[in-house]
Amino acid sequence: MTQVLLAIDTSAGTAVAVLVDGAVVSESYDANSMQHAEQIGIQIQKGLETAKKKSSEVTLVAVGVGPGPYTGLRVGIAAAKMFAEGVSSPLIGVGSLDAIVFAESLIEPTLVLTDARRSEVFFGLYHGKTAAGVPRTLIGPGVKKQAELEAELQTAGHNYLLANSQVSAANLGLLALAQLAEGTASTSVVANYLRAPDAVPSKGKKVSG
Amino acid sequence: MSHQLRLATEADLAAIMELEKASFGNDSWSRPTMRAELMAPHTTYLVAYQDEKIVGYAGLSKVSSSSSADIQTIAVRDSHRRAGIGRELMQMLIEQASKLSATEIYLEVREDKQAPQKLYEQLGFVRIDRRENYYQPDGVAAIVMRLTISSDLKPEPVVLGIETSCDETGIGIVRGTTLLANVISSSMDQHARFGGVVPEIAARAHLEALDATLQKALHDAGITIKEIDAVAVTNGPGLAGALMVGVGAAKALAVAIDKPIYAVNHLVAHVAVDVLERGKLETPTVALLVSGGHTSLLLVRDLLNDVELLGETIDDAAGEAFDKIARVLGLSYPGGPEIDKVAKKGDPKAIRFPRGLTLPKDQDKHRYNFSFSGLKTAVARHVELAESKGEQISIADVAASFREAVVDVLVTKAINACQDNGVPRLILGGGVVANSRLREVAEARCQEAGIDLRIPALSLCTDNGAMIASLAAQKIMAGVEPSKLDFGVYSTLPV
Repeated sequence: MTQVLLAIDTSAGTAVAVLVDGAVVSESYDANSMQHAEQIGIQIQKGLETAKKKSSEVTLVAVGVGPGPYTGLRVGIAAAKMFAEGVSSPLIGVGSLDAIVFAESLIEPTLVLTDARRSEVFFGLYHGKTAAGVPRTLIGPGVKKQAELEAELQTAGHNYLLANSQVSAANLGLLALAQLAEGTASTSVVANYLRAPDAVPSKGKKVSG
Repeated sequence: MSHQLRLATEADLAAIMELEKASFGNDSWSRPTMRAELMAPHTTYLVAYQDEKIVGYAGLSKVSSSSSADIQTIAVRDSHRRAGIGRELMQMLIEQASKLSATEIYLEVREDKQAPQKLYEQLGFVRIDRRENYYQPDGVAAIVMRLTISSDLKPEPVVLGIETSCDETGIGIVRGTTLLANVISSSMDQHARFGGVVPEIAARAHLEALDATLQKALHDAGITIKEIDAVAVTNGPGLAGALMVGVGAAKALAVAIDKPIYAVNHLVAHVAVDVLERGKLETPTVALLVSGGHTSLLLVRDLLNDVELLGETIDDAAGEAFDKIARVLGLSYPGGPEIDKVAKKGDPKAIRFPRGLTLPKDQDKHRYNFSFSGLKTAVARHVELAESKGEQISIADVAASFREAVVDVLVTKAINACQDNGVPRLILGGGVVANSRLREVAEARCQEAGIDLRIPALSLCTDNGAMIASLAAQKIMAGVEPSKLDFGVYSTLPV
């Protein structure tokens, strides 16, 4: 049976790809980080059209679980979950930073940084790949102020290259297949927020002087 | 007394045979044939009766393996012709055929009978064939007619609705105006220690609750995902980040099952839920929607085409005021039920708290708007003042007096809206409808004012997916086009 993989990542912009038997046949990326809800449906539909596949032919869904700005990240995960339910296919969660460095050689230690808002970055330090091509993580994923992170890495004596930081749904799909091949794919699809919700119980304030 | 319709039973056989012979003479079916027809599992026979006498009957045959149905026979007593009995029998059978998923209905009619042919044409049947010498022994030709039931206008679409505008993940399923499932997963407990809904916590909870809520809804409805005809989702008003979870989910589901999607207004859906209990919405009606996120007065002249926002809160929602006052009084979250409980032992007239925007000077600009922040401050000040003087306050009295002030404003303004607009109906919606005093006062004052009050079941008043599905089903049945796939979420979406 033909394997049709729908890959989705909304950890930055909106990224969708369709892979047929391991080959990327359609890929789209919308860099706007405020348009996930608008974009997600159309991109999935167009991706399948370009791949000349019906939604019912999809046999596997892979989704980036972050880290990434939360509101957008959730749109992709929600979409992936419901698409998988809709076509009764399995669903795999893939680290969005892992997907980014999948394209790198990783012969040298490589640092990936993405925008975490609030003057912080999401980061991961990677070095080498498994036989199946899955990136090996040295540190991360985590969230910190960039200067703080760089100081720490320097203190620990890490030399590293900086990865191009744009996530590709095609690479995310390929990584999912590599993880499946080596048996490390995760069917637990939970958003990787890396921060607790920003809320503190208020003590209530006085209204009279 | 006028005629009525019901399903035929074996006990009707004698009366039917009598009418059969009178109507068809030579062509009449035999008694055993008629009996077999009445009792067959694939037929639906109706009788029309008046004063306990059978005045008409008609039958439909639809085998489950076929997509077409046949009108087997129809007869109306001579003395009862021209009373619309034949038309009603036919309409019921067409409805039944459509419920059984027939896509076309066939019938034969004597060529020499003009009146029934005309009726069938009016009902949408078209002539497709003529059969010579069909009726014997008279040698009269039969005209074969067919009614195509458009699949686009399937009268009872199965719609799945997703609601994530606040802290309830709701997935509901309806078939037309019939409720099939209404599953709600609330993140209320997670917000308790913060004393109010935290948007990020709500959004995270939606994402986590999606799969299980969907599966339970399908299970409760007893359908598979493939049986869904359309997907509906709230795209506002509400918390943007929370809304986006539902919209992302709904769009992907619609694409996955290749079905249309309908973006639905949360407030209008609160009104649309009434069709699930009453079959249709009586209009015009005023709607008072009161929850932790909304306090709105709507004038609904037409559910799909004419909904006007008369007014809303200019600061806190009523439910929010309950939460905040509960904290002031040391009660737990959510505040509404707690205050309601404590207030039962208190005197609602103990303290005269202010009624926001009810003064004569407010009537010009804010007749239908609400404000609870002044009330909230007044209650807090009352409590603080007592504390600073070292006085004991009666929490029950404060709770009862506060609740009375909120309820008084809500009901007064809702009734004003009805009376100003000459609307004799009021429907309530939103979680605060659970408040016992609101229901009591609304009931008493509506009765006094001659206003018909509708309070849907509480599970349909709180935020839920069934109301979203219900509004979309109404749109579909009215032939409204689906939404384009690129719609966004609007936290302040107008009605």
